[in-house]
Amino acid sequence: MGQSNNNLKSNYRKSREKDLENQFLEFISPYHVSTNPFELESASADLTSLPAYHYKFKKKYLASYVIRPANMNELSLAIKKCRDLNIPVTIRAAGTSCFSSATPSMGGVIIDIRRVNKVHEINQEKMTVKVGSGISWLNLIEKLSDYGLEPKTFPTSFKTSCVGGFIATPGKAGIGVLKYGTMESTIISVDLVKPDGTVIKVSRDSDQEISLNDLVGTYGIFGAIGNVELSITTLKTSLEIIGYGFNSIEQAINFYLLIKEDLPNKPLFLSISERNFEKYSHIAFPKEEWIVWAVYYDKPELTSKSISDVKNQASKLNCVEIEGTYLKEKWRDISDAEVSIGSSTRNLIFQEYWISDKRLKKFMEIYVKKVKNYKFPTASYAISGEKGWTRVKIFGLTDIDRTIEFFAVKAFLHDLTVQAFNQEDRLYTIGIVNTFYLLKYKSEEVKKWKNLKDKLDPKHLFNSYRLTKARMKFWRVSLLFNMAKLLYKIFKIKRSK
Amino acid sequence: MSEGKEKVDLKNIVTSGPPVAGLVSPSRENLVEPSDKYKDEKSFERCTHCGYCRHVCKVYNTSWCETDYAGGRNRIIKALDRKDIKFDKEQIIPSVFRCMLCGNCKVVCPVQVDTLSVFQNFRKKVVKKGAIPEKLKILKSSIIENNNPFLEKHSDRFNWINACEEGAEAYERSSQRLEPQVKEKGDYSVGYFVGCTSCYRNKELVSATSRVLKKLGVEFTLFPEERCCGSVLFRTGLEDEAMELVKHNYEMIRKSGVKEVVFSCSGCFSTFTLEYSKFANHNLGFDLYHLTQYALKIVKEKNLKIRYTKRTKDDPLLITYHDPCHLGRYCNVFEEPRELIQRIEGVKLFEMKHNREMSWCCGAGGGVKALYGDMALEVGRDRISETRACMVRMREDRLKEAIETSAEVLVSSCVFCKNNLFQVATEDNSPIKVMDISQLLADCEFY
Repeated sequence: MGQSNNNLKSNYRKSREKDLENQFLEFISPYHVSTNPFELESASADLTSLPAYHYKFKKKYLASYVIRPANMNELSLAIKKCRDLNIPVTIRAAGTSCFSSATPSMGGVIIDIRRVNKVHEINQEKMTVKVGSGISWLNLIEKLSDYGLEPKTFPTSFKTSCVGGFIATPGKAGIGVLKYGTMESTIISVDLVKPDGTVIKVSRDSDQEISLNDLVGTYGIFGAIGNVELSITTLKTSLEIIGYGFNSIEQAINFYLLIKEDLPNKPLFLSISERNFEKYSHIAFPKEEWIVWAVYYDKPELTSKSISDVKNQASKLNCVEIEGTYLKEKWRDISDAEVSIGSSTRNLIFQEYWISDKRLKKFMEIYVKKVKNYKFPTASYAISGEKGWTRVKIFGLTDIDRTIEFFAVKAFLHDLTVQAFNQEDRLYTIGIVNTFYLLKYKSEEVKKWKNLKDKLDPKHLFNSYRLTKARMKFWRVSLLFNMAKLLYKIFKIKRSK
Repeated sequence: MSEGKEKVDLKNIVTSGPPVAGLVSPSRENLVEPSDKYKDEKSFERCTHCGYCRHVCKVYNTSWCETDYAGGRNRIIKALDRKDIKFDKEQIIPSVFRCMLCGNCKVVCPVQVDTLSVFQNFRKKVVKKGAIPEKLKILKSSIIENNNPFLEKHSDRFNWINACEEGAEAYERSSQRLEPQVKEKGDYSVGYFVGCTSCYRNKELVSATSRVLKKLGVEFTLFPEERCCGSVLFRTGLEDEAMELVKHNYEMIRKSGVKEVVFSCSGCFSTFTLEYSKFANHNLGFDLYHLTQYALKIVKEKNLKIRYTKRTKDDPLLITYHDPCHLGRYCNVFEEPRELIQRIEGVKLFEMKHNREMSWCCGAGGGVKALYGDMALEVGRDRISETRACMVRMREDRLKEAIETSAEVLVSSCVFCKNNLFQVATEDNSPIKVMDISQLLADCEFY
């Protein structure tokens, strides 16, 4: 009896799934509606070298369908169909922001947005470009460069990440941010498909229920970003890179802040990196503990002046100039270096922190102090965000086979997260896995998002379990990590004996 | 700047403008080498799924399917390895075979996953479990029964010599070598391994190659007992079946006594370079040359000049060169074809945006042409459009010189590239003419 009930349920589910598939096929080409289990497995994950079980905690982590609309119309119809049938939706582009930002949490449908990738208009008079949000930054860079133009701001993962993704994730740190402003500041307008399938244009001065500010960095919980109009700039004619090595974190941060705040011309890119970061990603590397390096990209005379200003300031300090060839390679491989660390280990774990420049020194000093309690390798670097803020990325290099160490790395990063929130800072990337921190520490912000979410998506079917809801509880995670630290200590003592 | 393994030369790094990483691979010189723990076909364990291989994957950029690029496929391999997902021999086929094995993902991988080894091994594993596309079964049985994948009779393999005087002469020399009653067998040190596609489908290329070798003054022989090199089987996971062919062809060449083997087919050339060399413990006992390498070698040795007879120095044929994956990324032969072309008076070479190790695949590799023909054409269409963009630049360049231009040609050195790109150019009425380098050389004078 039980078995026949199960059969009935299974048949009902299959016929319902088939029915939904047919409904999608009414407006999307059959090639782009998939129920292939291997594609579902692959599309239901994001950039991570962690084994699948690590992200499968989300219960219904696997979607039942992947669909790939080609344009705004198909995107809107797909979302409307899902809303009508009460099916959870996950919007996905490149999946590079990690932390399960673009993966399902309630099964349902993954809407892969990467076919919404057309360049609709390049307006050289207004200096704007209108594109589908699924276009990769690299494609956009290549397309604009044919016209002597380029985007103002883009992420260091530009080789694969998409325009829409950089809007939905914070888009506050990356190439060009310090010089031209954050991603949000370069947006002219966004065509947003709301969770009910209707399309609205959201711009800086539009008076809608949802603002541009609500859209940026909220992981698509208020709708799918379709077309985007961005302000762009011209390709410049001169690029020069300068960098200095320091043996004290304090001096390095002071120099970094001097370049960022005091010098008149802002670099295209500014970063501090720890020697370990250079060591685990490069064969030959500078011997100093910290490197501060800046990329200037302007007209030749302005670039030269900027470089000479930096040199002038550095001459007053106890630091060593880094070889130009090394910096050139760092710039060329800007996307690759942080992934290259993965060569040294099987499982790369990291956390990204959004730290006020005022508290950067304190945070980094705590990192340096805490890391001494552990034997596993770590590495860090920071890149400048908008004025007053820095994104710090800290890596722990481990292997899932060394379970105790693996969880100790996670506990170490958790402690730093708690430190960041306690000192009024926060995490940079939230996604699904970091949402419980927001619920614990930023409840007022969460409340604001939740009110809007309740209005736009009352059943919370759209990009769920991001920012407003979490399955994990802070106390439970803290308990787990405290146990991990304890076990690590016992293990370390045993080993040293 | 003194720590680390060794200081490396980091000169000549592109620094103008923002990163143009779609056109250049990571400089790699100073990026760390991966640990030895996961090598070759196990290197998928290193994959961080960063997705940097998406941009260069022409299949992915046609299908937009997450399992079609290296990072997505590696995820499937990991999931199967860890038994996170159930194997399904029907459903897995696209994830396995919708890959041209072009190797561009390997070039750009920041953690140096050896994608070619990983995916060939993956194919081998799934084929053993019964996941084999129907078309592939036909190819396999044809190779086993007929020694070619085209369902053609083995006895027809050298029919092409009937229309090629130079080929007939070479065949005669080869036959003499095999006849026990012929006492004066001649000392022929150069053999030409023709390959199935040229023998049965592209006889114009084998004729052109034979003519070029004769023009260069090379007394070459053929291998009348030649069988399929096994490339198709190796690339599609049927390695065990391929080993019989390897053994046969290898022993056949050794017995012939030739010291140099010339190939006009890049697929055969790469199979000999990689798989045959491995079979012979990297000591084949004869040297392997692609036609482009061999022609250049002879031209240099004999101090020859080359002139394209259909055009002049003042009115050169404008061409662009398409790097075949099997010759370029597989065997690292990038410069010889270019040097050869640049030596030809009456021909001017222009580069496409994506060239050498970052060259786009034509779309025909890895069995995609046979199994997913439409996809192969879509990929080829991209390459042709890039060729056309290159041609626009050529025209502009020519306009600057105020000289009229008429010919616009895409030259490759692989029969599969030639065929796929030729089909696209023809179907799309493209003004681009597609030809093999042997055809270009056959219209040249060597003096």
